[in-house]
Amino acid sequence: MVKIKDAALAYKILNGLICVYKPACVSVRQVQHKILTNLCRDLNNLPDRPQEKRVEIVGATNAPMKVKLLPNFADDPLVCGPRYIQKDFRCSWATHLGLFSSGILLLGINDGTKLTYLLNTARLTRAFKVHGQLGKATDTYFWNGRTMERSTYGHVSREKIDRIVANMQAAHQKTMYELSGLHIDSQTTYEMASQGLIRPANSKLPVVYGIKCIHFAPPNFTLEVQSVNEYDKYLWTLIHDLGVQLKSTAHCTGVQCIRHGKFDIPLALLRKHWTLDHILNNMDECRQLLEDNENLLKPKSAALSV
Amino acid sequence: MFSLKMDLCHLVRLTIAYNANITMRRNLSSVVLANSLAEVKHDQNNTVLESVSEDLSEVTPYFPESFNIAAYVNKSETLQNLVKLNVNLSKIEKKPHIVNKLLKMDFEKDMKENIFFIKDFVDSENIGNYITKNPLILCESIENFQVRINYLQSKSFSNLQIHNIIARNPFWLMFSTERIDKRLGYFQNKFSLNGNEVRLLATKQPKIITYSIHHINTNSFVVKEEMGFNDEEVKTLLLNKPKIWMTSKPYQKSLLERFNYLHNVIKIPHSSILHYPNVLLCRNFKVKQRHMFLETLGRAQYDANKENYIPLKALIENTDSEFCKNYAKCNVDDFNLFLKTL
Repeated sequence: MVKIKDAALAYKILNGLICVYKPACVSVRQVQHKILTNLCRDLNNLPDRPQEKRVEIVGATNAPMKVKLLPNFADDPLVCGPRYIQKDFRCSWATHLGLFSSGILLLGINDGTKLTYLLNTARLTRAFKVHGQLGKATDTYFWNGRTMERSTYGHVSREKIDRIVANMQAAHQKTMYELSGLHIDSQTTYEMASQGLIRPANSKLPVVYGIKCIHFAPPNFTLEVQSVNEYDKYLWTLIHDLGVQLKSTAHCTGVQCIRHGKFDIPLALLRKHWTLDHILNNMDECRQLLEDNENLLKPKSAALSV
Repeated sequence: MFSLKMDLCHLVRLTIAYNANITMRRNLSSVVLANSLAEVKHDQNNTVLESVSEDLSEVTPYFPESFNIAAYVNKSETLQNLVKLNVNLSKIEKKPHIVNKLLKMDFEKDMKENIFFIKDFVDSENIGNYITKNPLILCESIENFQVRINYLQSKSFSNLQIHNIIARNPFWLMFSTERIDKRLGYFQNKFSLNGNEVRLLATKQPKIITYSIHHINTNSFVVKEEMGFNDEEVKTLLLNKPKIWMTSKPYQKSLLERFNYLHNVIKIPHSSILHYPNVLLCRNFKVKQRHMFLETLGRAQYDANKENYIPLKALIENTDSEFCKNYAKCNVDDFNLFLKTL
């Protein structure tokens, strides 16, 4: 880790993408605000440029006057305020993460905001771990809603869940072809489909490419979902539908984003590491990752490669 | 990088009549107004464009409107003296009515005596911070201060206690004797404290006496009714950690949430919380993270009578690496990995 000694240098190299681990029940705006506050605080603590001086020409105007170099009080941080304030930074996120979802969030700082725009339009897939609980259905499909139904779940077994989940995956993959915007019976569609999975036509259509049950300990279970364009309510609805198909009820207890394109969990920064040197380190690693994989930012075709 | 503050730019205006402290001399127009208007038109010898052989260093233009104090600080001895005392002018300039008052005052005449008076109570390194928090203390008269200190002495506060109170609460001396008397009486009645305990409370946390009564009422309600402490316990809590009563409106919910998590989820009884009230002042997510980690390890045991006891303060104090080494007996990396699954 590089030790930064100069605030001006640090500000100049603070351009790029960072990958943070957003905690649950904290909005993306709060995360952004906290990171910028921490950056300003760390930059203001580092030594900066020396205070400016003022030239004053004093004396009677009808006699030779003296030119003096005095300290400029107006440049003192006690008078004009801290050297770095929140307004000096621009920060934007690549794709939104819901309030109650935790997981990988990509933020761009200063010049990195251009990268986040490119990442957004590139429509990378995300992998989620969706935790659910059998036996209760709520009106918002999440744990904070009012309970609408209660039911038994003793009859639910691992095979049943796997079977239903495989069904759901097949159904979603079929709709993927329809959502791609191409005509089903055409040659282009066949060529696209033979290359593998394809992306949907626009950014408002959620498409699920894979669902798998990775943990089952009744009443709790966890699904791993790979998808594109989804939002948190869509994932909650998936769990609710699963409960209905199992002839029981289920609601979602947590959503966690574990992968965003090629950005993985080991790369993400925890809340206690949102300081200047950790952020600079992370920026470097993300830049390395983006350089190694050109097609993250500029996808060549609608076929999914990542 | 400056943001134009609209409320300031029409308020911070220096008029000629109040220029006593800033060495502002005759302005340009007085030279022209010496002759009448008619004469100026005819008198070509007295235009301002002609070179003059007299000393003009006394003549300066009006000060323009400004949105921050930095525009005036190079010309004003008062402001420069305040900066030398480490007063943070950029924080004071956010309140325009205070700035108006300060700019009209002179350092030698008004501020010096107040500063010497405060220096008895606050040492020189903290005096900048003191004035930044409460700049109006330079406008009050010294007789008022003396009366209020006499009041405190009459209520048997020792000199050391008085020093502590004034040093830690920059707003105490702004409250009149009747107000302070009312406040101290209010605390005495509400929590049934005797004289010594009131003095202890005022010395331990002087800011609570000048805190808004409405907030203290709401916080008392939260502690007594919603958390379920009885009167004796409320009194112990107050004398031990008065800061709990100083949570403002947006954080009262989080205070209750913290207590809820400790009492209902981790099942810590009231007595343990009384023993270590700091837990109520630590942010909830820290407690949650550490508790959940201990639970997954099977070490979440907070009962002092059984073995493998984890004290409450382990959930709050120290860095994560020390917590892991002492109580969770594992590496910090494992803790980090666990955090990334929450």
